[in-house]
Amino acid sequence: MPGLRLSRWVVALPMAALALATIYPWLFTANIAVKSQRDYILDRFAVSRSVNWENVDTAWTSGGMARYFVNSLVIVTAAVLLLLLIGSMAGFALSQVRFRGSRMLFLGFLAALFIPFQVIMVPLARTMADVGLIDTYPGLILAYVAQFLPFTIYLMASYYSAIPTEIVDAARIDGNSLYGVYRRIMLPLGTPALLSIGILDALFCWNDVLIALLMMPSSEHRTLMVGITSLRGQYSNDIPSFAAGVLIAAGPVLAIYLVFQRRIGEAITAGSMKG
Amino acid sequence: MLVAPAVVILVVLRLWPLLLGVNFSFTGDGDRNGAAVGLGNYVELLHDPLFRTALRNVGILVLLLPVAVAIPGLLATFIFLRVPGHQFFRSVYFFPAVLSPVIIGAIFNLLLAVDGPLNTVLGSVGLEPVDWLGDSRIAIFTVVAVHIWATFGMALVVFLSGFATLDQTLLDAARVDGASTPQVIWHVIIPGLSRTIQFVFVTTMIGMLTSMFGLLFVMTSGGPGGSTYLPEYYIWIQQGQMNRPALASAASTVLFLIMLAVGLAQIALLRRGTREE
Repeated sequence: MPGLRLSRWVVALPMAALALATIYPWLFTANIAVKSQRDYILDRFAVSRSVNWENVDTAWTSGGMARYFVNSLVIVTAAVLLLLLIGSMAGFALSQVRFRGSRMLFLGFLAALFIPFQVIMVPLARTMADVGLIDTYPGLILAYVAQFLPFTIYLMASYYSAIPTEIVDAARIDGNSLYGVYRRIMLPLGTPALLSIGILDALFCWNDVLIALLMMPSSEHRTLMVGITSLRGQYSNDIPSFAAGVLIAAGPVLAIYLVFQRRIGEAITAGSMKG
Repeated sequence: MLVAPAVVILVVLRLWPLLLGVNFSFTGDGDRNGAAVGLGNYVELLHDPLFRTALRNVGILVLLLPVAVAIPGLLATFIFLRVPGHQFFRSVYFFPAVLSPVIIGAIFNLLLAVDGPLNTVLGSVGLEPVDWLGDSRIAIFTVVAVHIWATFGMALVVFLSGFATLDQTLLDAARVDGASTPQVIWHVIIPGLSRTIQFVFVTTMIGMLTSMFGLLFVMTSGGPGGSTYLPEYYIWIQQGQMNRPALASAASTVLFLIMLAVGLAQIALLRRGTREE
């Protein structure tokens, strides 16, 4: 489009400015995180003359980020594994096996997608307290599984529905139980979807703050995101340490993003295409 | 059975709490714990200035919804039309969408401080500094703007996948006929993407109603003067801080009805869309 050459640049410049506005906050924060307290107070904008790891150390040890990090890691790992196991079983059954009420059941799962957490959080907290699961790892893990299961089932079912049903029929004739078909055929076949959906589920759980605040009131069980909010009060006079804490919490997400960027995009659009 | 674990979890931890919550919203708090109070909680909600502000802010979100959809839509169009650097833009724009609102909020607290970078930039071109989060007339717009900044990458990716389904021959034909870029956008791209646009409208609205808690919690705590309350923040405060779970349940039910209205509007739009085709 030769006639469009000029207008393309007219568009590209504001887009570049927006890209800069997306990158700059990170540079600003990273720059603060490596400054000494004194340099920060003197001039927060100037590029730091030295890379100072003290702030990272402060946030990690005395700020408690180390403990929060372990909490998040344990909870997110357990929740994602459970989500993938339960979600792939249900997704397989709903997309490949016809049984009485299977259509209704699928619609029921779809409807569950539209129940936001805010709507059920009060009675859920009460029920969890009644059974002694408030402020425990299993309690928060279960809450995450319940929250992201409809989404996981939906994406797994739409992935499995592309696999011809003849495969299941043949395996059944060979004498496999339904569970055997799942274990030996569907689980291995589902690996690409399990990976993409697992990454998304992990991001959702890692990034959550509301569910964690509700289910984990005590400070030693805080997840990383809740930890950030408390760090803010703790280091209101030591912004460099706070900035370092923020970067620690964002680090794993940045790493996952850089490695799996394309996969994350595909998983999101897989959901939208069917919607 | 293979679906049994999923069914048990969803019935016990989602469906049951939903019914319990609606039931709960008709009972009292504190001394009147468990006693039936009819619509008492709902009447109290209507008279609570904080909840009214929360509803007014939902109105502001609805008004800003077209902006929140148009920004990623336009950017996706330009990326699709292969503006110079489009691949770079795509990956940079998407990054904030995978981050927690808590992290975004924490960083923007630093950026939007009265003596922070944004006001420094404004000052360098001779403008007065703005109290982005401390002025009750501005704060809600600031938070919504940060939310849009943080999430437009998600909608952008959805739009781009919609573009992949567009009929390329139609686009080529329009160009051969000498259509300008705005004409191509208006007459070819928008009609061809109607389903994607609807999908983005609904998911963006749901996102605004249910995923701004982290930003509010970190950036404003509902303030100044309660001006940045949203229903989800109100529910959290009444449940977690004020020990008014029944009142919080009533607010939850109202939020659920709002979400239901959004869902039904979506279905109605889809019906109309298919009839036209």
